Amino acid sequence: MAQWKGWRKALTVLAFIGPTLLGVLIFNIYPIIFNTYISFTNRNRYHPNPDCSVPLTGILEPTCWKVFEKNRPTGLAEPYRLQDPIYANYADLLGKFFTPPALLSFGKILLCFVPLIVAAQLNKAFGKHVERPVPTWVVTLGGIVAAVALGYSLRFDQAINVIAGSGDFFVVTFRSLLYVLLCIPLFFIVGLALALLLNVPDLPGRTFFRVILIVPWAASTVAIMMSLVWKFFFQDQGLINSVLELLGKTGQAWLQDPKWAWFAIVLTNVWYSYPFFMVTILGALQSIPAELYEAAEVDGASWWQRLFNITLPLLRPAVIPVIVLSSITTFQMFGTVWAITGGGPTRGAGAPGATELVMIYAYKQVFQTSAYGRMGAFAVIMFVFLFGATLYSLRISRITKGAYE
Amino acid sequence: MLVLASMLLTACGGKTATPVATEPPATEAPTEQPVEQVTITIWHQWSGDYLKAITNVFQEYMYNHPGVTIDLSKPEDVTAALAVAIPAGEGPDIIGWANDQIGTNALNGNIVPLDDYGVDMAFLESTFEPAAVAGVVWQGKIWALPESQEAITLVYNKAVASEADFPTDPLNFEDLLAKAQAFYEAKDIPLFCNQGFPGGDAYHVAPLYFGFGVPSYVDDQGNVFVNTPEAIAAGQWLVNVKPYLLPEMSHEICKTALIEGKVAAWWTGPWAIADLENAGIDYGFVAMGRPFVGIKTLMLTKNAVDRGHADIALDVMKWYTSYEMQKYVTLANKTIPANTQALNDPEVQALATIAGFGKNANLGIPMANTPFANAQWGPVGDATGAIWNGSQTPEEALAAAQTAIETAIAGMK
Repeated sequence: MAQWKGWRKALTVLAFIGPTLLGVLIFNIYPIIFNTYISFTNRNRYHPNPDCSVPLTGILEPTCWKVFEKNRPTGLAEPYRLQDPIYANYADLLGKFFTPPALLSFGKILLCFVPLIVAAQLNKAFGKHVERPVPTWVVTLGGIVAAVALGYSLRFDQAINVIAGSGDFFVVTFRSLLYVLLCIPLFFIVGLALALLLNVPDLPGRTFFRVILIVPWAASTVAIMMSLVWKFFFQDQGLINSVLELLGKTGQAWLQDPKWAWFAIVLTNVWYSYPFFMVTILGALQSIPAELYEAAEVDGASWWQRLFNITLPLLRPAVIPVIVLSSITTFQMFGTVWAITGGGPTRGAGAPGATELVMIYAYKQVFQTSAYGRMGAFAVIMFVFLFGATLYSLRISRITKGAYE
Repeated sequence: MLVLASMLLTACGGKTATPVATEPPATEAPTEQPVEQVTITIWHQWSGDYLKAITNVFQEYMYNHPGVTIDLSKPEDVTAALAVAIPAGEGPDIIGWANDQIGTNALNGNIVPLDDYGVDMAFLESTFEPAAVAGVVWQGKIWALPESQEAITLVYNKAVASEADFPTDPLNFEDLLAKAQAFYEAKDIPLFCNQGFPGGDAYHVAPLYFGFGVPSYVDDQGNVFVNTPEAIAAGQWLVNVKPYLLPEMSHEICKTALIEGKVAAWWTGPWAIADLENAGIDYGFVAMGRPFVGIKTLMLTKNAVDRGHADIALDVMKWYTSYEMQKYVTLANKTIPANTQALNDPEVQALATIAGFGKNANLGIPMANTPFANAQWGPVGDATGAIWNGSQTPEEALAAAQTAIETAIAGMK
């Protein structure tokens, strides 16, 4: 028997994790490195092919590898090369952000969130007191009021416009964030309301409703098809307008109006996503000890008081990871929105359409405009952004760990 | 037996050919000796009933060449699919595509010039129409064999409207506006349907812009003519005509509306005729505006060369674009063949579609095959959409489109 230590042990461990490690390297790390490299080049539809004599291109570009040599494309185009200056694609995407007016606007936007952070910190500090000097809701409300007042006096909307004017990147990022901010509370509210309803023990036909309400979640396996059904509702020759016609009213081409197009994509996403929240909340509701409610009832607490002081705080550990996960997937939403609006209604050439979220923008730029280099840079920036969000979400998950222990 | 085998093979490929009334003309007898099996893959843009006659032509080829299996497929997004498939060696042998794609695909190295495989100008000029020949030659090389010429025109349902409902002068758009208004007020249905008007489709909206005097969106030198007084006048006309048309239009919406009599005319091309005939529509033609004149072509890919199939693939291409086959396809599909002998055939000349589409094609603007042409589609489509949905004025929209196309073309340098 070999000695189980030193390099032998290391080698054995490596042999076991080797295949997985290799998979991670090939399927995760390599594309990231390659994309990052492309983001520094002028690769686009006019410069699609590599110049394999450039050292890094020769190593990273698959068509330069010996195995693929036979099929290496040799078009008439000049091969792509590194940008001059090398960060040109990044400057193109973010450049105008680093100008005094844009930075000032960004500062203003950040300032508007300060009252909310202060309120949260105050609440935390007060929580350590035995007797709270001020109730939580007063502090929170005060924070919100201060934030809104600050936003109003600093012209929050103007600041957003200034930043949006500094490039498509900010337009689509803000739009995706707005989409998350609109969708997530609705997911939660609809999910919570239905979960509370389904949790009523003597609800007639409870099992039936539980099954019916999960149907949208099951339907998300054929998401594109269901999205097309939703699209049909909102089309000019669609269901809604037919119903309106029966009532003697004239509808409109809903999806050509930016506000209604937004309504449609939010509504559809809520329809898809509330069951996830509902099921999670329903599960969490059943793990809340009934004694707590009995004790509250004895103390004469109303239904709302029980909801806000027992149910919601105890749901928190279960719901926060769901919110974080949904936020990330909603931020990256593609299929549903693409099927319903295709990113439209258009706002003209060279500007992203009214519902063009981050992923739709990237898709159109890559597959319709073939702006590989520029979109490589876009993807790198998004990667950093989402990587940060994921790390933060892991931290949140750790906070909620052991909540029931 | 071999026929059965080849039919089974195509059936496995998901392309079952529905027999049509006339079979393609029988040619040479099948060779008996066993041959090496070769599969020739064609990525194409043919769809609907239009595809049936075309499939028959390839079936016939397989019958005559037992060693060859032809696989027809229609990828969703050909550009994206080619970008991955060609370098991987898994692309098609032949691409059936419009001639405006020649420049870009030659730049990419997706396609190879046919000069290296024995196709010369003498053959081209003696076989095909001059416009079609011009469409497949780029930078002094032959990049494709032309299949058919196509341009869009107003195809109207004779049960709903008559020729008197349309302008007699194909360039009088003021008259078209007045007639669209009169028709809408009289019958409460739109006079015509054009899938390019609500945006996103620079091809179908072309008769309007070019009809107002725009020479082309982009010329061979990369000059852009989108932000011109003529284009802005066309944009303003679009705003004026909107109340009398359907707010949403697409290929499917226009087709259904025309067949169901909910719109009088459809601004469309030869590819739509097979569907209308199947629906039993009695249709007529009215020339309007200056459409893009595109050449449908077959291109030979680099993958065919790498696999050593270039000669067989080229033979398939020549077979499909030959007089007999194009005559058969033309009579079945009512298209305009690029093959001179087929076009001049008395039976073909007797087709109403040849005169109908031909009249508008003669007014048309040839579709350029330079790589610059690729930069026009998105911006013109978006600008038209913005004019249609009112988010921009014609002036703003077309100025933005001009900038966007110029920026894209600058990316070539």
